[in-house]
Amino acid sequence: MTHSNKKINRLTATNEDTLGPYYPISLCDNDNMDMTKIRSGVVNEATGEKIIIKGCVKDKNGNHAHGCLLEFWQPNANGIYRIPETEADDKIDPWFTGYARHRTSDGNFKLITIKPGVDDEQKTPRAPCITLTIFSDGITRVVTQLFFDGDPHNDTDPLLQSIPKELRERLMLKALTRADDGTVIYNIEIKMAGENETPFFDDILS
Amino acid sequence: MSKYGRTLQIGPTDLTSEKRTPRQPLHLIPEEARASFVPFAPYNFNALPSEADMTRLAPGRPRADGEPIKITGRVTDQYGRPIRKSMIEVWNANKYGRYTHIEDFSGLRLDPNFLGIGRMITDDDGNYEFWTIRPGEYLAFPDISRWRPKHIHFSIRGGASRLITQMYFKDDPHNDTDPMRILMGDNFDANIGKEYEIEGDEFDCGYQFDIVIGGKNPTFFEDI
Repeated sequence: MTHSNKKINRLTATNEDTLGPYYPISLCDNDNMDMTKIRSGVVNEATGEKIIIKGCVKDKNGNHAHGCLLEFWQPNANGIYRIPETEADDKIDPWFTGYARHRTSDGNFKLITIKPGVDDEQKTPRAPCITLTIFSDGITRVVTQLFFDGDPHNDTDPLLQSIPKELRERLMLKALTRADDGTVIYNIEIKMAGENETPFFDDILS
Repeated sequence: MSKYGRTLQIGPTDLTSEKRTPRQPLHLIPEEARASFVPFAPYNFNALPSEADMTRLAPGRPRADGEPIKITGRVTDQYGRPIRKSMIEVWNANKYGRYTHIEDFSGLRLDPNFLGIGRMITDDDGNYEFWTIRPGEYLAFPDISRWRPKHIHFSIRGGASRLITQMYFKDDPHNDTDPMRILMGDNFDANIGKEYEIEGDEFDCGYQFDIVIGGKNPTFFEDI
């Protein structure tokens, strides 16, 4: 999709295009949908409360959106995102990157991670949340953030509070069940279009 | 309260676009939350040199059917600064318009010597190069007689950069009816590989495809 460049000295951006239906599945082989483990077979794990998020992506007709490429991004248990600026931060967890990528064939996904924390030192602390980017056939890219239902920080989160109240509910991860080992399982349904459409955000114009 | 950005467009005759394009305008992101929308992919990328040669399955194997082409280009942000050490993933159909993907049910001809998946890392100046076979066009939706023009898929990722796009070929007769091309409007030119000659028999020709990653995501964590 095109977007205008206000400053004349900037290069024109290459148009984003659809992922198409045939993103090579094997290119995701080394991507980790278990954020608690940077690599398999080692003792070290991310610090924090382990959680499981089970979700699905649905289309306008309520059918599963097959063939999507999903990217997840979140801060660690201290609420710190792992970016170049924070790499030397005391509150960085060396065993946690916060980044995961997955190509879902049937529209379902399962992310194992730790519950994101809150960085109280921020002027406007963010509620615990997970950024989700969806690439798929038919669209270029949509982005949103998922929150934890009932978390007291939601009431003051600048992003949640910036959208109409009735839409906030659609971004809530809901704890409904537990795994055999007691890990809380959260559920979410992403609706790409139509009735109960998930709110998405504009990271080009913002 | 809520402020709105773009409303995404539905590609004409694109049945999947009709099902998956959000109908509501996108919400603008408040400044306090903007940084959290920029995933920083850890730089643990690795690619074998042979993964940049898609004209054969592995070194020493026979070449795939069709015309070998070389694709070269430079990846930058909108200020022209190189996007370094990023992972470029590419995938394209074979000469007959068929992907090796397990979900390609078209029944078109497979080529035993073609995989159609490659990857490489941009160098310190943002440059990349790979070899592939000129892809065939294919009838994507037979019921509405809609073709996909010849194209090569690209994904760029690394640091805060993120782009998924396609390179097209000038003068493909199916370009004009492609839904995404229609949405791109006059800016379609940015997605066309610029053909150049290559001496010798190894390649039919080369294409220069410079990629500019737009928006402020790719430069979010850097001072400008």
